[in-house]
Amino acid sequence: MSKAEKINIVPCSGIGKAFGSVSRLAAYYITEDDHPSDSKLVPLALLVLGDKDTNETVLANPSITIDGCKLQCARKMIGECGGHIAKDLVVLDVYREHPDMKPSGVAELNEAGEKLARALADKVDSIIDQSLGKNGGSKNA
Amino acid sequence: MIEYLETTVDKFIFKVAKDRFYTPEGLWVLNEDSLVRIGVTDFFQQRNGDIAFVNLQPIDTVLKFDDELASVETIKVNLSLVSPLAGKIIKINKNAEAKPEIVNQDPYGEGWLCQLSADNWPEESKKLLSPQQYFVIMKKEAEEEVKKNE
Repeated sequence: MSKAEKINIVPCSGIGKAFGSVSRLAAYYITEDDHPSDSKLVPLALLVLGDKDTNETVLANPSITIDGCKLQCARKMIGECGGHIAKDLVVLDVYREHPDMKPSGVAELNEAGEKLARALADKVDSIIDQSLGKNGGSKNA
Repeated sequence: MIEYLETTVDKFIFKVAKDRFYTPEGLWVLNEDSLVRIGVTDFFQQRNGDIAFVNLQPIDTVLKFDDELASVETIKVNLSLVSPLAGKIIKINKNAEAKPEIVNQDPYGEGWLCQLSADNWPEESKKLLSPQQYFVIMKKEAEEEVKKNE
């Protein structure tokens, strides 16, 4: 695959669970703060609706999916649309690496949940850097 | 090949293996000669959600009935699992600690938790439920759970 210009970030769109909220907060950190010019937030709902522009975005750029649970709706939906998945992450796996950051709350995450979202975003940031050929990483997505 | 009792409640399918005993709390106990193998049921893992961590008591721990056998943290709850019988822990499933998702994926097989010596199995097994007895309890709880979420 040739060098990507942007990376799609596709978080969980579930409701009612803290892990989904962590996924979305991490996606905002990435797309609004860390990589605003070389990442793009892709809402899962638009893909499910078959939105043409969103579908084209998914086909044009590699995607990093951040699922809230093991159902992995984001990963499955990108696959269904024929998109390329650069990396599929599940919040629970990242939590296992940071057992001191137990998220709780849904509308408003607790401090540990925010920290977990930050740790998750850091992980994705380094994948983006590698995918885009920054920081001496691979130039291939 | 394990045979199962099976029921569908709402959109969920729950299985109960026919070859072992159960506790009402959702542990299974399988007699294997001088040892018993212990794990959690399919209903237990579906009800409590994806498991983040499994912590098992170390090998050689001597347990009385109702002593903590393991603690499990899922995305929903933290649970203490108590031993359904007295005995010494002979073997633990390190895979369940290292990759807790196997407990969700294969609760009756690869996701077992530990093996105990069961010195008083004939007597203690009488306190356990048959698959059919557990199936009735499990189905009722599953139906109540669905009603609660309607």
